[in-house]
Amino acid sequence: MSFWDWVTIRDSTANTLSPFDVYNLPYAVGHGLWDIIGGILAWLLNLIFPGNGVSIWLVGDAVSNALALILMAVVVFAVIFVVNITMIWAERKVLGRIMDRRATRIGPAGYLQNIADGLKTFLKENIIPDKADKKGYMWAVTLVIGSAILVSGMIPLSPRWFLTDYGVGLLIIYGLFAVAPFMILVAGWSQNNKYSLLGGMRAAAQMISYEVPMLMVFASVVLMAGSLNINDIVQFQMDNTWFIVPQIIGFVVFLVATIAEAERIPFDLPEAEAELVEGWQTEYGGMKWGLIMLGDYFRGYIACALGAIMFLGGWAVPFTDSLIIPEIVFLLKVFLLFFVMIWVRGTFARIRTDQILNIGWKVLLPLAVLNLLVVVLLKMGGVY
Amino acid sequence: MALKFLDKYPKNTARHLWVLRPLYATLKNMIRTTIHRPVTIMYPYEKEWIPDNYRGRPGLVFEKCLGCGICESMCPTTCIEMVEVDDEKLGKVRRPQVNVGRCMMCGYCAEYCPVNAMTVTPDYELAAFTREDLIFDPYRLKWENVTQGMEVHLEEHLPSNLAKGIYDQPTAYFKVDRPKLIEDKCISCARCSKTCPVGAIEMVEVGVNEKGKPIKHPKVDDSKCVFCQQCINICPKSALEINEVL
Repeated sequence: MSFWDWVTIRDSTANTLSPFDVYNLPYAVGHGLWDIIGGILAWLLNLIFPGNGVSIWLVGDAVSNALALILMAVVVFAVIFVVNITMIWAERKVLGRIMDRRATRIGPAGYLQNIADGLKTFLKENIIPDKADKKGYMWAVTLVIGSAILVSGMIPLSPRWFLTDYGVGLLIIYGLFAVAPFMILVAGWSQNNKYSLLGGMRAAAQMISYEVPMLMVFASVVLMAGSLNINDIVQFQMDNTWFIVPQIIGFVVFLVATIAEAERIPFDLPEAEAELVEGWQTEYGGMKWGLIMLGDYFRGYIACALGAIMFLGGWAVPFTDSLIIPEIVFLLKVFLLFFVMIWVRGTFARIRTDQILNIGWKVLLPLAVLNLLVVVLLKMGGVY
Repeated sequence: MALKFLDKYPKNTARHLWVLRPLYATLKNMIRTTIHRPVTIMYPYEKEWIPDNYRGRPGLVFEKCLGCGICESMCPTTCIEMVEVDDEKLGKVRRPQVNVGRCMMCGYCAEYCPVNAMTVTPDYELAAFTREDLIFDPYRLKWENVTQGMEVHLEEHLPSNLAKGIYDQPTAYFKVDRPKLIEDKCISCARCSKTCPVGAIEMVEVGVNEKGKPIKHPKVDDSKCVFCQQCINICPKSALEINEVL
């Protein structure tokens, strides 16, 4: 058998063990990658021991499927990671332009600055405070970044780019997104530092109060689409109108609430570097701090992606039913929403402690209820 | 348009839309800086234009300098020290040495220099690896290509001139005061004459004492004197004092 007999890129849907009913692009990419890597391995083994069974086992359906699933997860993570790096770069650049200064300078257009910063945090010493609760200290940061990456991996970029197509997608994403305040409280407590404890308390108070209007907006979107499945929600928007048109109030509420949830300026009270050092992250240094920062941007990405899915029609292109490179369209919408977040960050000053709860409970919650009322009326009136 | 409307009716419910104003401002700024580049200057690669009379480190025209020490006495941070150098052409002369690590770049030394030997220079990149590198001896202090703009000197409008209605004749500071002799105290030691950097003091015989030896008193040549006060400082009997002449 020649080299090309071993290394052939096969159709991933033809794999009998494939867990996906429909065509899945990251699975196909992972399958193709294993076709190349495993094919070369099998060809080399076959050269040394001609006619052995391991070579055939390596390119068989079972091993291909298992390795394809692992490589698929890597591919999905790599894409989200690159998107996040780009978001950090975009934030620094746009903020620089808003402030009339040059921003990052390393690499082409300053793109490699984040890589350099990441390497720098890797080189820092791993310091754990003496009197900190070590288990809580380490687990909190692990779960903050872990839950953020898990949720961002669960968001589909298109009907063909997903990890699992679950029926209650929006609910799971929301539930895992809301794990963070608890971990932040644990992190603030375990550091044994008054600033971080104060920051953790503030973070928990703020996040829990902003989750309520956010959940109301989720409910109204789900009510209007009649499904918790993300694919169904987007499909409903493609069939009717994008939800930003009937639910403009909900969109504004969602935007404000997610900015608060992602702890971004002007709702960065838990961090508040001017008054609380770094808030609940005070004692985290080196790579742990880098991971927390990365987690913040992952949360920002989740917020923007949810906004794009629920209000901007996901991967739909206006005035056409066909999908045109849906992943890119979706990411463009995410970046548009993230630009709004950067814009808000560059414009407003930090909100006071008393204002933050007032806005959450007295402004956003009534508006969210009003939005729900509008949705119910539209549903009852038979418009949707 | 809409914002003007809000200003006109401040009690309108829509006044909560004031948040749109800063959003508009930042967006405008962002678009402007994206089209035209930001104002930041990329320092090591491009530098700002600086004028000739920029207060950088002091510079010295070695041949012009009198060694009078006015710069030393004027320096607010006492970073200037007069040192004796053995020059090939001029022999042993006193010249200023500047500790740039202490210098605050005020330019007083250049402003008060009577002959414009001390100048300001546009040299502001003075970082060095050791403290010794920051001490500029008279030869290192030299600055070639001195332009007119670098010669900053202070001139004063005298109140007497202003009273007479003369507004366009500023006077250099060193012309205002002169040393004045208190004749009773002078012991004719001639130290003032020896120390004068411009040779303005001449010992003149004014009489004979009871032992028959000549009494010599210093006589100051007004055209040469730069009023560096060295004669006043060195006088052992404090026989010279400051006298305002203009």
